[in-house]
Amino acid sequence: MDENNAIEFIDVGKRFRRGRKLLLKEALIDIFKPNPTEWFWALKDVDFTIKKGETIGVIGPNGSGKSTILKLTSGFMIPDRGNIIVNGKVSPLIELGAGFHPELTGAENLILNGVILGLTRKEVEKRFDSIVDFAEIRDFINTPVKHYSSGMYMRLGFSIAVHTDPDILLVDEILAVGDSSFQKKSFTKMQEFKKRGVTIVFVSHNLEAVNKFCDRVIYMENAEVKGDGSPKEIIEAYKRKQR
Amino acid sequence: MRWQGHDPRHFRDLLIEITKREIKARYKQSILGYAWVIVVPLLNITVLTLVFSYFVRIPTGNIPYPVFLFTGLIPWTFTANSLISSTSSLVGNSSLITKIYLPTEVFPISTVLTKFIDFFLTVLIGVVLVLIFGIKLHPLLIYLPLIFVVQFLLTLGVSFFLSALNVFYRDIENVMGVMVTIWMYLSPVLYPQELIPTSLLPIYNLNPMASILGAYRNTILYGVPPAWPSFIYSMTVSLLIFIAGLLFFKHRSRYFADVI
Repeated sequence: MDENNAIEFIDVGKRFRRGRKLLLKEALIDIFKPNPTEWFWALKDVDFTIKKGETIGVIGPNGSGKSTILKLTSGFMIPDRGNIIVNGKVSPLIELGAGFHPELTGAENLILNGVILGLTRKEVEKRFDSIVDFAEIRDFINTPVKHYSSGMYMRLGFSIAVHTDPDILLVDEILAVGDSSFQKKSFTKMQEFKKRGVTIVFVSHNLEAVNKFCDRVIYMENAEVKGDGSPKEIIEAYKRKQR
Repeated sequence: MRWQGHDPRHFRDLLIEITKREIKARYKQSILGYAWVIVVPLLNITVLTLVFSYFVRIPTGNIPYPVFLFTGLIPWTFTANSLISSTSSLVGNSSLITKIYLPTEVFPISTVLTKFIDFFLTVLIGVVLVLIFGIKLHPLLIYLPLIFVVQFLLTLGVSFFLSALNVFYRDIENVMGVMVTIWMYLSPVLYPQELIPTSLLPIYNLNPMASILGAYRNTILYGVPPAWPSFIYSMTVSLLIFIAGLLFFKHRSRYFADVI
């Protein structure tokens, strides 16, 4: 593979079962059908390459396959067709604080989440103070997170995720959450990553943010890539289609 | 390409942190806290002793029934609790499995480790009791770690199968309580193996748990080594189940995020 590429999708297809035919009754009926399982394709022949250091926006209506792209890039889902090559350490900013345990304190959750996101315990400890400071929760670090406000919860989740030193950052609508000061702060952080040469895949419905932030935009519709090019041109085309 | 999980240091840290989460979170908001780990088996032993030495007498030779029961029930509880909890360990962590790339085998392994810690604490209490009653400890007890390793492999292997299957067929977790009870009655937990007619023993001993429990009692109560032929059979079966379980889990884990 090309060393300059961060992510390559080569004719990728991903299908899911439509409904779950698990009950014995249904399974028995299915024996008499020629093609028992109904599939639907969440991605069809998706083919693109993202270079190292690029910031890519992925836009498109709900259910067009945007999140599936992120899941396949993360690696916990595997494609049914084609190939995916990922070159570098991936950090998902998909759901902040996934894996937080409500009964554990902020500090305990910080260590746990850091390790879940792929750091060793030593690496988390080294970053501990910097994570706490960025999240601005120094006074509540020994409080169980069930008593946190939703803002504190998200700040801690975000802070841990951005401290994992990723090569590739996957962002799903993250800038839409939190108050305006948190949004500003996380946007600044993303800009910082961009300058540092981190590859960013940014899934969003916020076309303005995509236009301002991304170098290139991929437009998804009905599980297929419908456009791939400069933000201005692609967003223009998307808006025309939506009308 | 995939960096996580391929680093053994990271896997170790992940396993430790997830196990710590289970332990810390379990008894928060309860008054007795971690003491429950010891209180529950003691209550169990008390009830079963009442039933099986007063109402229904089970002959256990010159060994008092509670002592006999303790040596079988405590190891059995480790397996039973491990199986029941690990069955739902993946489904219970679905929010992580559908969001982050993780070596998913940490979930059943950490569940079994948590139950191992419970087991270890109960055993410590048992040792204290033994010392108080002045029962002599004999040198054959060095077999205990070996017996436990065999039991651990068996338990973990079955846990791999059950946790992975439960992702696809949630029926498993509904039926686990009954299955575990049936397995207990098929194993010499509440009664000595001598109660089984000799003609049935070859079938009875197909259950790898039979000679594992027999080996515990042999070394602890009677001071004799495990009955080797059947124990070596259990070792082999346990190792095979462990390997098959891990391979099955690894294969199925590619589809967890699709269906969970």
